[in-house]
Amino acid sequence: MSFLGRWRTNVVNQIPALVLVAMCVASTLMSDRFLSSTNITNVLLQAAVLAVISVGMTFVVIGGGFDLSVGSIVGLSGCVAAEVMLRAGIFAGVVSGIATGAAVGLANGLVIARANVSPFIATLGSMVFVRGLALLMTKGAPVVGDDGLPAGFIWFGTARLFGIPWPVLAAIFIFAIFAWVLHKTAFGTRVFATGGSREAAFLSGVPVRRVTLLVYVICGITAGIAGVMLAARLQSGQPTAGEFYELTAIAAVVLGGAALHGGEGYLYKTMIGVLIMTVLTNSLNLMGVDSYWQRIAIGVVIVAAAAADQLRAKVN
Amino acid sequence: MDSRRDALDGGAMTHIRIANVSKFFGATCALSDVSLEVKSGSILALLGENGAGKSTLIKILSGIYPPDAGRIELDGQPAHFKSLPEAIAAGVVLVPQELRVAGALSVAENMLLGYLPSRRVAGLLPCVDARAMKESARAILGDLDVNIDVDARARDLTFAERQLVVIGRALGHKTRILILDEPTASLERRETERLFTVLRRLRNQGVTIIYISHRLEEVDILADECAVLRDGRLAAMSSAPFERNDLIHAMTGRELDLQAGGARSAGDVRVSVSLPGGALTCRQGEVIGLGGLLGSGATELLRRLFGVRSGRPGERNSEYPRDVPAAIENGVGFVPGERALSLVMALSVRDNIVLPHISAFCTASGRDEQKITAAVVRLMTLLDIRPHNPDMPVRGLSGGNQQKVVFAKWLAGRLDLLLLDEPTNGVDIAAKAHIHRYIADFASSGGAVILSSSDMPELLGLSDCVVALRQGRVVGRVSRDNTYGEASLRALLETAV
Repeated sequence: MSFLGRWRTNVVNQIPALVLVAMCVASTLMSDRFLSSTNITNVLLQAAVLAVISVGMTFVVIGGGFDLSVGSIVGLSGCVAAEVMLRAGIFAGVVSGIATGAAVGLANGLVIARANVSPFIATLGSMVFVRGLALLMTKGAPVVGDDGLPAGFIWFGTARLFGIPWPVLAAIFIFAIFAWVLHKTAFGTRVFATGGSREAAFLSGVPVRRVTLLVYVICGITAGIAGVMLAARLQSGQPTAGEFYELTAIAAVVLGGAALHGGEGYLYKTMIGVLIMTVLTNSLNLMGVDSYWQRIAIGVVIVAAAAADQLRAKVN
Repeated sequence: MDSRRDALDGGAMTHIRIANVSKFFGATCALSDVSLEVKSGSILALLGENGAGKSTLIKILSGIYPPDAGRIELDGQPAHFKSLPEAIAAGVVLVPQELRVAGALSVAENMLLGYLPSRRVAGLLPCVDARAMKESARAILGDLDVNIDVDARARDLTFAERQLVVIGRALGHKTRILILDEPTASLERRETERLFTVLRRLRNQGVTIIYISHRLEEVDILADECAVLRDGRLAAMSSAPFERNDLIHAMTGRELDLQAGGARSAGDVRVSVSLPGGALTCRQGEVIGLGGLLGSGATELLRRLFGVRSGRPGERNSEYPRDVPAAIENGVGFVPGERALSLVMALSVRDNIVLPHISAFCTASGRDEQKITAAVVRLMTLLDIRPHNPDMPVRGLSGGNQQKVVFAKWLAGRLDLLLLDEPTNGVDIAAKAHIHRYIADFASSGGAVILSSSDMPELLGLSDCVVALRQGRVVGRVSRDNTYGEASLRALLETAV
């Protein structure tokens, strides 16, 4: 390929990053508060929960699937964590919150990999089912206990290390681990192969059913972690927490350029997608844009990103 | 005017004229200054290796790509179609390799999809006139002398029948030019003969046909004219009868020794399974051929030998591997008939090659990229996979190079039994020769090979012994003695039970 052609391909492949930079520049020009350290910290804090969810979603999408239940998992696991924490302490609460996510992910994976139900229908069902479970368990009320959640847990949601909030550090840590799993291990290669072509992967000795099962378990685990993180920030278990997160996470993955038909993508690019979604909301807030208009703007951005993805596919 | 009189008197008016057509993709030149003419009512065979520009040329003719330079004329009129529908409207129809039929619709509906006849119920409500639709479909199929039920669902048809439905659909469009991309790649002999009868009939009705094939023997019996492309240029143009060696030379730019084989001696039994009608045994250093027509059960047998279970009850059998990973662990490699089943197209050459043995290329800290690179570079050099870029997605490679990647996959680990299902399907002549030589070398070095192929010369040329299969039953054997040959194999396969 000529220099120009390669250059063009490289530029097109980096469109998400360029969009993010352009958005930051525009926000800086339009609001002097955007670059303040308070606001940057705020953006990162908001991005942290979405980032953790999107890590798991990237596995599912690259593996050729789809998960609509993550928002409901965030709600349920936050409530379970809070409930258990009030009785058995922080550690047990955190573990059971994450285990809740893993259990829902396992159920999704079994229905999809064993019973061959389409991922869309299977996770649409569990999205409604799990939200119902969260509301039933809490009778629709936030879980705070009589004296609030344990102080150590709330500390995690508010404290900082060298000025960086703990949830942000946790998100970076989770990203690093799963980036290694996806891009550096045999399992990661098998996820790409399964999403790229199930049949070819199967005939290459990839245990495709187990891989499919595991990506949903991973997605459940990360959504469970996100639920616990969000509960710490909200200082309570909210049964309605995480609504629409599934859509925002899928949008972030697609914005990052992972192919929705599976087999292609990078975890770091999903993080760019997450930052685009967060910066967009943040700068619209800073500019005082009405929240109804914000939704319209976000919808436009998602479709525009998908159109840009088609352009990328063409150039490649 | 004289020239006009000539055209009328001569009767041989030029139907398609392609003049100085070029096409670039980025900096890659796919077609360079190609000029050729096809006479009305003749069959042109378009030959060339993978990547020679055949597909690009037919895509330009049928409106999928615009040419970057040059002119195309039909009956003297410029014909630059901007889209496939525009070309179809002008009577130029492409029958692609992968057929697009709507499986849930009937044969008649599929054939008349673009212009369903309608009538009005009670003079008001427009609706599809099912009777008229079926009659038109029957008439078209009758013209082709093809017997297919117009009420059948398209998904219940065989590949060959679907192909005829797609051709029938084209005829409904008042087609002047019919372009077929490797139409016989998935057909067996009888189906191929039926297709050729249909194509000859169409030619006699005045349809001009452009036909892409890798099979030189078909070109001999079907084509009136033959154009050979090589590296995007027209390398040769000739009329029937064709000189086969000249065509090969024009395609590859060199002479090829198509005969593979070498001295080898059979060792211990590598695999032995009992089948209805007899046992199938393959020794080390031996190539066993599986001969059969469509539905012979050869593909199913190869898949079972590779550990693929169909899920039917009662198939638990210790003669076969437990599952695919167990088979791979045990040194078995499988090359399926379709490359879409053997390669993950979006994945790099590198990852495709290491995929079956990926665990062996990993340490506790993840993939050992140095070890992977060493193995991949060695195999890409050994099999001459081009371009020599391990990080390129496999879908960017030509068919022949993709097939070499499939072989490389199995060579990356232990391999002593190779199961091959149509290993040279859709592969050009040079790559085919490479693959044949590779199979023979593998057997000479002590590997066991079980080969299924509908290409009889290939099957007989490579095998030490051919087992004839019909519906999963062993119906006979052709061994290398004085009766070894196509005639005795055909006799076994085609006689009634």
